[in-house]
Amino acid sequence: MHPPLSLIWFFLTAGTSIGLFSFIYLTDFLSLFGLNTSLPPNMILFSCVISLVLIALGAIGASFHLGHKLRAWKAIKRFHTSWLSREAVFSGAYGFTLLLYGVSYYFNLHPAVQHFFGISTLLLGWLSAFSTAMIYASNRFVLEWNTSLTVLYYLNMYLMLGSSAFLATAYHYKPELIKPYLLLALLFVFLGLALRIAFNVRQFFLKRPTINEALNLPHNRPVKVLDTGTTTNNYCTEEFYYRRGKEMLSFVLPLAYIFTFVIPLMLLLYSLISANYKYAFYALAYASLFVGSALERWSFFVEGNHVQNLFYGLYPEEGYRLRKGYMEKKKTKISLRS
Amino acid sequence: MAQFALVIDLNTCVGCHACATNCKEWNTQASFGPLSDFDPYGREPQGVWYNRIMTYEVGEFPNTQVFHLPKSCLHCQDAPCVPVCPTGASYKREQDGIVLVNYDDCIGCKLCSWSCPYGCREFDEADKVMKKCTLCIDRIYDETLPPEHRKPACVLTCPARARFFGDIEDPSSEAYKVIKERNGFVLFPDMGTNPANHYLPRTETKVHIDEHLLKPENPLFLEVVQRHYKGG
Repeated sequence: MHPPLSLIWFFLTAGTSIGLFSFIYLTDFLSLFGLNTSLPPNMILFSCVISLVLIALGAIGASFHLGHKLRAWKAIKRFHTSWLSREAVFSGAYGFTLLLYGVSYYFNLHPAVQHFFGISTLLLGWLSAFSTAMIYASNRFVLEWNTSLTVLYYLNMYLMLGSSAFLATAYHYKPELIKPYLLLALLFVFLGLALRIAFNVRQFFLKRPTINEALNLPHNRPVKVLDTGTTTNNYCTEEFYYRRGKEMLSFVLPLAYIFTFVIPLMLLLYSLISANYKYAFYALAYASLFVGSALERWSFFVEGNHVQNLFYGLYPEEGYRLRKGYMEKKKTKISLRS
Repeated sequence: MAQFALVIDLNTCVGCHACATNCKEWNTQASFGPLSDFDPYGREPQGVWYNRIMTYEVGEFPNTQVFHLPKSCLHCQDAPCVPVCPTGASYKREQDGIVLVNYDDCIGCKLCSWSCPYGCREFDEADKVMKKCTLCIDRIYDETLPPEHRKPACVLTCPARARFFGDIEDPSSEAYKVIKERNGFVLFPDMGTNPANHYLPRTETKVHIDEHLLKPENPLFLEVVQRHYKGG
């Protein structure tokens, strides 16, 4: 699949926004139970502004993916069936309640009002994230994406981005929170690594359809694409098969692993083990995650193989090779009829 | 419920691209046009086509067969492109089962094309909306046309008469009859889309090499003799 840069941008901005807000709000929420986790109002306001700006930038960036940006409001119409519609509604509502939450904090309204907006924002943010993940996971024609791992990994990435951004913020406003949250950040990065490996390993075991199944032909007949009817690429070959990306994937995917997992893990682990709580570690960990996640999302798109590629002979051949038992070679003989 | 569809006879289709060309011609100038073209006379011509013809070879040499597969929107009965559309621009008509796109509502998010296992939707980069085969809905209901002309452009133009059009739920229609009589099949049956467009399978064609091939006048005489004596 061709990676749309606007969707990668939306992932990074929405991921940081929702992730950061979640940690901010939940930490503050815990203080209701008598824990010493109440955050300075400045920290909450600062994080709200950052989250709001990011989700707004994400929405603007994502609109570049649309052919008609001014009609984007119409995306609320199919809420009952379309995950994209749900994503649009939930992410819009998330931004709105986030603004109200920030306003309620700025004017120091009654705590009940603040927490009402806080809980609403948290729920809407995660519903938005879940809807975005489901757009990919529910597509049963891209087998690499069509798994619950896609959703779990996607949501965990939001937590990875959010927890490292929280660490960098907490350093300035409430340094005593760094130690416990460092453990959380490490946990999410480890979990992310495990889920990403599972996502990649799963691709080796996929039972892929063959061109025979696409054309509804018996399995024992080899089929070869002779001509796709056009002299150059068309929409289908460009949107669903990114040749340049496929060539670069073996280079980009290891880089994505290094930036998303290896570097943040090393930085956070070093900080934890050496008890050296420096701002630079968290800022670098977030920056590395940001770059790594961009590369990882790019790889996610390029790794996806749409089944329509079968008609163009551009689908991976593993399935075909795995079923070689069916491809018994028959001896043929040309004979003259007397 | 009626379900209009095309039935394509793979045994007769010669891959002349007349259906695709006439489809492009009609749909560019009629109610749903234009279908944009980019660099049409240059090195990399690209454009929107509702109908594309693929050519495949089946079997192993020398027992191979070549067939042509014209592929346009299959107007699936359980069309996966419809529920994913966030604006409702993509819809399936109840009265005849034709899947259409309302260009005024389409926001060009491309998600419907991601949800089509056949690659039968194309994004028009000039109009920034998704486009697809309409089964020439502007022809088939046009009462100003003579009844025999109320068919999709591809059906009317096919020189080999490889295309049939009709209601595949109506036993009196031509499309229904040929599907039943000649074992019509659909593409990708496992995808759960229940496509309406059907294809008629190729029948086995046996070729016998007769003795006249061994006449010295035959330009392939030497090759045939060599194969014959090698027991090829």
